[in-house]
Amino acid sequence: MESATAEPVEPVGGTGGGNGNGEAIRLENVTKRFGEFTAVDAIDLSIPKGEFFSLLGPSGCGKTTTLRMLAGFEVPSEGQILLEGDPVEDVPPYERNVNMVFQSYALFGHLDVTGNVAFGLKRRKVPKDEIERRVAEALELVSLGSRAKSRPSELSGGQRQRVALARALVNRPAVLLLDEPLGALDLKLRRQMQVELKQIQREVGITFVYVTHDQEEALSMSDRIAVMSDGRIAQCGAPEEVYEHPTEEFVAGFIGISNLLEGVVDGPGTVKVGTGMRIAAPLPGDCELGDTVQLSVRPEKIAVDEDIEEGMVSMSGRVASRIYHGVNTQITVDLGEGAHLVALEQQTYTASADDRWEEGMAVRLGWHPENCLVLR
Amino acid sequence: MSDRAFWSRFLLPGGLWLLLLFAVPICLVLALSFGYTDDLGRAVYSNTLANYTDAFDPLYIPVLLRSIGYALATAVLCLLLGYPIAYYIARYGGRRKHLLIALLVIPFFVNYLVRTYAWVALLADEGLLNSALKDVGLIDTGIQFVNTPYAVIGGLVYGYLVFMILPIYASLERMDGALIEAGKDLFGKPSRVFLHVTLPQTKQGILAGCVLVFLPAVGDFVSAQLLGGPDTYMVGNLIQDQFFAASNWPFGSALTVVMMLFLSIWMLGYLRSAAREARDPVAAGGV
Amino acid sequence: MTGVPPTAVGTGRRFGRRSRTREDAFDRPRFLKLYSGLVYLYLFIPIAVVVLFSFNSVKSLQSFQGFSTQWYSDFLNDPTLRESLFVSLRIAVITMVIATIIGTALAIGLVRARTRWSPAANILMLIPLVTPEIVAGVSALLIFSQLGIQLSFWTIVIAHITFSISYVTVVVRGRLASMGDEVEQAAMDLGATRFQAVRLVLLPELWPAIVAAGLLTFALSFDDFVLSFFTTGEDAQPLPVRIWSAIRFGVSPTINAIGTLMMVVSLTAVVAAVLLPRFFGRKESGIKVLTGQEGG
Repeated sequence: MESATAEPVEPVGGTGGGNGNGEAIRLENVTKRFGEFTAVDAIDLSIPKGEFFSLLGPSGCGKTTTLRMLAGFEVPSEGQILLEGDPVEDVPPYERNVNMVFQSYALFGHLDVTGNVAFGLKRRKVPKDEIERRVAEALELVSLGSRAKSRPSELSGGQRQRVALARALVNRPAVLLLDEPLGALDLKLRRQMQVELKQIQREVGITFVYVTHDQEEALSMSDRIAVMSDGRIAQCGAPEEVYEHPTEEFVAGFIGISNLLEGVVDGPGTVKVGTGMRIAAPLPGDCELGDTVQLSVRPEKIAVDEDIEEGMVSMSGRVASRIYHGVNTQITVDLGEGAHLVALEQQTYTASADDRWEEGMAVRLGWHPENCLVLR
Repeated sequence: MSDRAFWSRFLLPGGLWLLLLFAVPICLVLALSFGYTDDLGRAVYSNTLANYTDAFDPLYIPVLLRSIGYALATAVLCLLLGYPIAYYIARYGGRRKHLLIALLVIPFFVNYLVRTYAWVALLADEGLLNSALKDVGLIDTGIQFVNTPYAVIGGLVYGYLVFMILPIYASLERMDGALIEAGKDLFGKPSRVFLHVTLPQTKQGILAGCVLVFLPAVGDFVSAQLLGGPDTYMVGNLIQDQFFAASNWPFGSALTVVMMLFLSIWMLGYLRSAAREARDPVAAGGV
Repeated sequence: MTGVPPTAVGTGRRFGRRSRTREDAFDRPRFLKLYSGLVYLYLFIPIAVVVLFSFNSVKSLQSFQGFSTQWYSDFLNDPTLRESLFVSLRIAVITMVIATIIGTALAIGLVRARTRWSPAANILMLIPLVTPEIVAGVSALLIFSQLGIQLSFWTIVIAHITFSISYVTVVVRGRLASMGDEVEQAAMDLGATRFQAVRLVLLPELWPAIVAAGLLTFALSFDDFVLSFFTTGEDAQPLPVRIWSAIRFGVSPTINAIGTLMMVVSLTAVVAAVLLPRFFGRKESGIKVLTGQEGG
């Protein structure tokens, strides 16, 4: 029988409790099924304390479900979840030392900002003067000290977001979960909040688990990123690694532009692509003659026309389309046989992206073989 | 405790109350309809159909038919009176819409009895209407207003008009103004726009209004009692008699059951129509 | 003269707007306006009669002789009538409190619980709304007599509660359905148990709807006749039942006075129901709360 009033409970996974080896979160073979549908498929994850960790992926990839399992709103169908060394699969959300910032903020409309932020502390029966002190601290942290008595309906979107953040952080959880918290904000505000969130995380030192579908956001804020697709983790690593050394086609395509060329292994270091041309590429040791591979080159690693250097692989084609992005111009080049590559001309202090290319013009593209990735 | 168990507990007080104090009593009515009254005048449960054969006796059938007829007339009149005013407020009310609707509803906060009683005062032989007509010189002797079917139906209309207006108003409000614009393009004449666009779109409102007027009107006895006489007896008066004056509870129960069965047909029909509309608004009655 | 197309003059429409070939009565606001005015007249004349004659100086409902408040003082000084007034008020208040509690719980259960009993509970809740009052009265009378309970103040209360629960549930459910449960999840995430989340977060969010439903229940109970008629005992008689007996006895402006006073009470309750959400600092209009449109 659930008690109507909660006795002061020490939440499971409290800071300092359990050993965890400096590990904030560990997921072991965690699966979540909804009837026939498998939302999360046997994932393993280890997140050290103090890390800003992102779950990145398209809608339906399972990132939000994973987050909800960490919060306690979903129970895993299989597997174990360890919070600072303590297993918490059966622990309800109100007994976990984890707090969440919801996508819609979910502020309590009938309480003012102070009431909202103090809510968690009141539930834990923290003494009144300590509550006052910690609430003031939390509001200072998110720069909302002046709005302590306002009601949520009187605040802007960005301010509500900060209240949600303060409300979660004031409890000093072991882990803070954030479910696409910046999605409702306009671009400028979002960029500003990204910087602030990162600063706050550094300041309080709490482990952040951040869910987003925006790869730029993940790249700029995270210490490590787990790229998810269809319920599994495609790749997990630091932003530089995930961007510059994607191990899967999906990852290469989801983060940045992948620029894939399909080809067949033709020799110890060459691949024959659709157009019949043979290209030098850094093949991994276990590649065999006749294997089908995908070559991937990032657009920013491709040189166009005069910029092609010695030692580069080069191909020729026609400009199929041109898109002006201000900071650069993107051209899609048709190489024949259905192969396309996207190249960039960056605006720099010497060059400017005026109409150098027009659709239909012939161009040559080149890249150093070591900048080419081989994916299977 | 699982989520399901936790939330199910909320259903318990209301569910039990309604089960024991609403569902069970209605079953009692059904059960007693098969009973009879003994020599001491007490109601006894049994299994006879006598009450039902009595109910369809030539003595009582006119009462049943009359009730249906009056209720039908009431619904039609309410529709004719109510739709235009709902339309007017919805379309031309502007910022004063809420005020106009509130104004419309205020008369219904006077108790039903008192309201109907006012009509008695107005329509009586020496009543205000007759006096006014005599004063103006239009008539010499009073016109018999009360004690006629017209008075009873008039009382019913007055009593239930608001239940027709509000659902129609709600469905007019909910209607997308763009549809009327589109209709004007397609149909040109306003009357055709009304017939082909507005009317079908408000079909659910009209149905709801008709149900909310027709069903209770069938069982009404106040209007017939105050504004009518023995010739305008409705089934509600009959039932009321059985439970108070005549003390023939089993027969009263049978009459109640018969009335309920008749009404359920319409109720089910309405629910089906509403469900169909919820699933597929376009096919159910859209443009 | 400026070049004003002749057919546009005198039609009250901006010229050049539409083809002026034929304007149906349907779209000419004037006809509708007149018709609506007549309907308003029809609705208010009897009310005017009631209120006017409640101030009549003679005991007549046919000729108004002068202004007097004697019928009001008659009413308030008559012990049986005064008692009935308080009986009606007490019944309405008790019904309001209990039906609101039960009805709100039922609404929460219907929206949140996913059991196989939910559809049945839903139907059970809806049926009283479409049941004619006379059926309600008869069934209430039967159950009390079957259980050997003598008709009294409490039988009226019980019957009123039974039929008010559904109204409360429908109003509260409308509001609840348009609220998400993310706020409750946030509360649980912050350490509130499910029950605490309901008490501290869900109910405050629902409060405007609950209050509106309660006041609606009050107005319906205070005004009720048919159900009370079947369940009234010897001792306590609510006002409408007394009015019924009084009407059978004959004409008296006292009835008008009672009717006018009751109207004021009911109106106050409903106006409060509509305006109260504003006082709670919410931006929603009470009408929208009652019909469940506003999410808050």
